[in-house]
Amino acid sequence: MTGLARRALACGAALALVLAGCGGGPADLEAPAATTLSEQAALGELIFKDATLSASGRQACATCHVESNAHSPDNALPAQPGGPSMDQQGGRSTPSTRYLGFNTAFFFDGEGTPTGGFFWDGRAGSLQAQAHEPFLNPVEMANGDAADVVAKLARTPYAEEFKRVYGADILARPADAFDRIALALQRYQLEDVEFRPFTSKYDEFLRGKVSLSAQEQRGLALFNSPVKGNCAGCHPSAKAADGSHPLFTDFTYDNLGLPRNTALARNADPTFFDLGLCARPSGELASRADLCGAFKVPSLRNVALRKVLFHNGVFSDLKTALTFYVQRDTNPGKWYPLKPDGSVDKFNDLPEGYKANVNTTEVPYNRRLGDLPALSDAEIDDVIAFLRTLSDGYAP
Amino acid sequence: MALFRPNRIAAALALAATASGFGQTPTPTEAELARKLEQLAAELATVKAQLATLQQQRAVQAQAAAQPAAAAASAPSVAAPASTPPTNSAAAPATVLSGYAELNYNRPTRQPENTQADLRRFVLGLEHRFSPTTKMAGEIEIEHGVSSADDPGEVEIEQAYIEHQLGRTWGVRGGLFLIPIGLLNEYHEPTAYYGVERNFVETRIIPTTWREGGVQMIGQFGNGITLQTGLSTGFDLTKWDATSTEGQESPLGSIHQEMALAKARDLSLFGTLNWRGIPGLLVGSGVFTGNATQGQASTSSRVTLWDAHARWTPGRWDVSALYTRGTISNTAALNAPLVGNPTLIPSAFDGYYVQGAYKVWMQQDYALAPFVRWERFNTGKSYADLGPGLTPAPLPTETVWTTGANFQLTPGVVIKADYQWFSVNKDANRFNLGLGWAF
Repeated sequence: MTGLARRALACGAALALVLAGCGGGPADLEAPAATTLSEQAALGELIFKDATLSASGRQACATCHVESNAHSPDNALPAQPGGPSMDQQGGRSTPSTRYLGFNTAFFFDGEGTPTGGFFWDGRAGSLQAQAHEPFLNPVEMANGDAADVVAKLARTPYAEEFKRVYGADILARPADAFDRIALALQRYQLEDVEFRPFTSKYDEFLRGKVSLSAQEQRGLALFNSPVKGNCAGCHPSAKAADGSHPLFTDFTYDNLGLPRNTALARNADPTFFDLGLCARPSGELASRADLCGAFKVPSLRNVALRKVLFHNGVFSDLKTALTFYVQRDTNPGKWYPLKPDGSVDKFNDLPEGYKANVNTTEVPYNRRLGDLPALSDAEIDDVIAFLRTLSDGYAP
Repeated sequence: MALFRPNRIAAALALAATASGFGQTPTPTEAELARKLEQLAAELATVKAQLATLQQQRAVQAQAAAQPAAAAASAPSVAAPASTPPTNSAAAPATVLSGYAELNYNRPTRQPENTQADLRRFVLGLEHRFSPTTKMAGEIEIEHGVSSADDPGEVEIEQAYIEHQLGRTWGVRGGLFLIPIGLLNEYHEPTAYYGVERNFVETRIIPTTWREGGVQMIGQFGNGITLQTGLSTGFDLTKWDATSTEGQESPLGSIHQEMALAKARDLSLFGTLNWRGIPGLLVGSGVFTGNATQGQASTSSRVTLWDAHARWTPGRWDVSALYTRGTISNTAALNAPLVGNPTLIPSAFDGYYVQGAYKVWMQQDYALAPFVRWERFNTGKSYADLGPGLTPAPLPTETVWTTGANFQLTPGVVIKADYQWFSVNKDANRFNLGLGWAF
């Protein structure tokens, strides 16, 4: 061996030892730390919690998106009340606003699957776009127009701060000011870690800090199994390749054929059907009859804290909801009313022409009348035990 | 890959001649053009003569050393060095073009509706020698004929490295290179192995064509020992997809990184020792080991793959055998969040094969070599305990018999036909036809 070769080997060995040492213990993937909010986000927080911006003076964003309940309603109403006198019922249940910073604008993926978007029908392209609507919705904050909202903001204690951040003349330009209100709300939801805490027991489990109980672990297996719950098919539970924790939604849409909720006032009209994706007010998907009845797949993070479930709030507890999933087709009489002829009016929240859109091919919906459900009662309890590990704020 | 084949030199000369033509300044008259053509023709004649001499010398050398390698119809050589000693011949070109390709036809006899014809790969190699001791080698590969967003093909760089010779014994290689494990990974051209398809053990367990980025020392000793050792990028367990079957098809194939924005926090060490001390005999063993969670999981996990191999080529015979085993540590913790999914991370996987070929007929450049191969492999041999009802059952060990023949049309071109029987997945039994070349 030449001297040069010896030197090269020695250097190579030293380099190997040094670099191999880099592959030591795992990084501690902690929950995101709270940071000081930017000026815009701080304004957004004030707006988010300010009920004076509503026509009733009693409804803020935070009224429905209750922070202590994972930014979802803390009551079991199928849709939240609103309007000038807080006596108007909304049309759909109020989703949680947590983890929506990871959502995207609506698009069809490479296989044509509708994906992303905000609201149950994905009609808003961003948190900012979403934030406009509740201010003007007549059954929510019920302001007449953007100028109405801005006039209310001009009377708040933080109006001067608003002008300092967005310009001294901003309130004189109501359309721009309304956009800035929505922008500030977006900044708040993106910056405040309360909207993405990743502090559930499951997160701690993924960090290797706690173990799941035997029942929770069984529930996770049933949740993942493509032949049992198959929940992970739409609610992915595994960490991504970049190490990020799962969001328990793939942001796609599904048509579950839910029972009609007679507790919703607008359902008193037998000719009314909430068709979701194809019935956006813009009409942009009106020609896509195959999408009628589809609603966005929500994150299952904090699902155990929700008082009502699904877009029409038809169920108010996990046990009933999961039992519906696995018995919808095996025991339809349990979920749907009877027609005058005595037959079960299956998928009764859809017009006849759209009932074929309901997902009947994927597990656990691929069963027939009289089949054994994909999950037994005990297995449903196991899945629920697992779902309870998804609630933020876990303290051992 | 064995470098500096005579055919490559010829190709390089053609390339050099073309390049020199492009390099001229425009000539003002036809007379000058004619003169330059004559000059080039004379130079070419000289180079051809030098090449003929060189080829003759190499043929004599090859004949002397070749009793072993002569057995393979398609001329795979056990004596192929991993590193090329410096060449000082004036006839050696600086830049060499090479290539190989495979076109395969697979007809599952129980499921003929799944019959496929595929341009499996078309590969172009380029080697440039900067100096007698320093060269670059690269390969670009296109798989499945067409590569686009809507087509199944892939375009990939298989190798891209610099090699520098430090003396008569040691060389150092840096860049993207093939990992020297097994018999096939470094020598994977269709003319270098028997059968239309590469064997399962060296594709499902050893993820041929497996390359990593890093640094490698290559020592070739007078006693027939070749030592290759180095430090490189490794696997990425964080991209294990428990919902797909990819990890069952090839555990390491599903998590290798191919230096495509490879996570490189955890590096791996490897070493391989080959002994060619007896003409015609190759015996060797290699190991590759490194952490593979890249600091992005709560658990650190080590992936280790090792193999032992031998090949013997007495006369017309070509016999080889290989055993390889992979392990992944701490899979219980890695699998805990994945329970219930179809494909959990195995703690061990292995495979082995024995293969024999005999050159029954030779005439001029033609050669026919029937072969038979018996291989067994298991991509999920064991799983860490996750508790009752949650621990996956080990996968069944698949046994595959392959028999057929390689027909050498001329050195560098091979036509293959074989039949494969599977013991577990009997629906995969298939007839295969292949055309391949390498130069």
